[in-house]
Amino acid sequence: MHIPDGYIDLPLALLFGALAVVVLSVAAKRVNGEISDARAPLLGVVAASIFAAQMLDWPIPGGTSAHFVGGAFAAILLGPHLGALCVATVVTIQALVFGDGGLVVLGANVFNMAVVEVYVGYAIYRLLVPYGEFRAAFVAGWLGITAGALTAALQLGLSSAFQYQLLTTLSIMGVGHLVLGLIEGAITASVYRYLARARPDLRPNAAPEVSA
Amino acid sequence: MARNRPDWLPRALAALLILTLLAPVFGWAAGQVGYAEPLENAAEATGATEHATAVGTALFPDYGVPGFGGATGTFVSAVVGTALTLLFGAGIGRLLGADTDGRQ
Repeated sequence: MHIPDGYIDLPLALLFGALAVVVLSVAAKRVNGEISDARAPLLGVVAASIFAAQMLDWPIPGGTSAHFVGGAFAAILLGPHLGALCVATVVTIQALVFGDGGLVVLGANVFNMAVVEVYVGYAIYRLLVPYGEFRAAFVAGWLGITAGALTAALQLGLSSAFQYQLLTTLSIMGVGHLVLGLIEGAITASVYRYLARARPDLRPNAAPEVSA
Repeated sequence: MARNRPDWLPRALAALLILTLLAPVFGWAAGQVGYAEPLENAAEATGATEHATAVGTALFPDYGVPGFGGATGTFVSAVVGTALTLLFGAGIGRLLGADTDGRQ
């Protein structure tokens, strides 16, 4: 889902970059001064886990592969604002150090993965958590990544490089990630359930200072 | 970090090490089935692939290291990237942390 330079028209890249800056600024303001010393390293560990997990390309017979993105997972574990800052850190390092995703479109990539996937995933989790944490985490991961992909498809489909074929980009990326998102949902729910049982003190409700 | 190091940190770092060791294995396995994401499929369907450009030069392009083989380069990239995100993430957490001098 990391869009390279040249795929999105410059005005769109700037628009979504500005939106990402605004959202992340608000997120930073919301959590500023609210993280305990003991929880501060958790942001680094979750970011590093997401980076490392994104390097694991799960081979899928038929000529494709998928990897965990982790937006909903970060939101559930850290709260949406810290989750957004966490994923933004990952996406930025991927672009600057590894050339994964363009520099001109960095803001758009951050918007898709660190804003849309994180906040949509978190909203779905909160909506469904009365029906069970595991189910809620699964659907949050599944539909969160699909929402991020649809936003990317919107940006691509409104750009000249893709000949403004919005329906094509929406259908290919929407359906593709709706299927691949099942893996994202399964990993999100499984890892969260493990952490919730092994270390309940790491759950957001055990540290309300980093929740929404 | 040392003064309030959480007890879960050593196990978390061990888990990160395992993930970095797995990166070359998964990279090889994905290469066996061919690597294509929906974004690449959409680009091919609309003829956009030729518009992809690279602005700037990455230190570890495509998660590889110039001069190293695929698996070694992937492993080094995984270690470097994991360490960088760990440091920057923890740094942001520390920057946004509670004022222990009593400002709160």
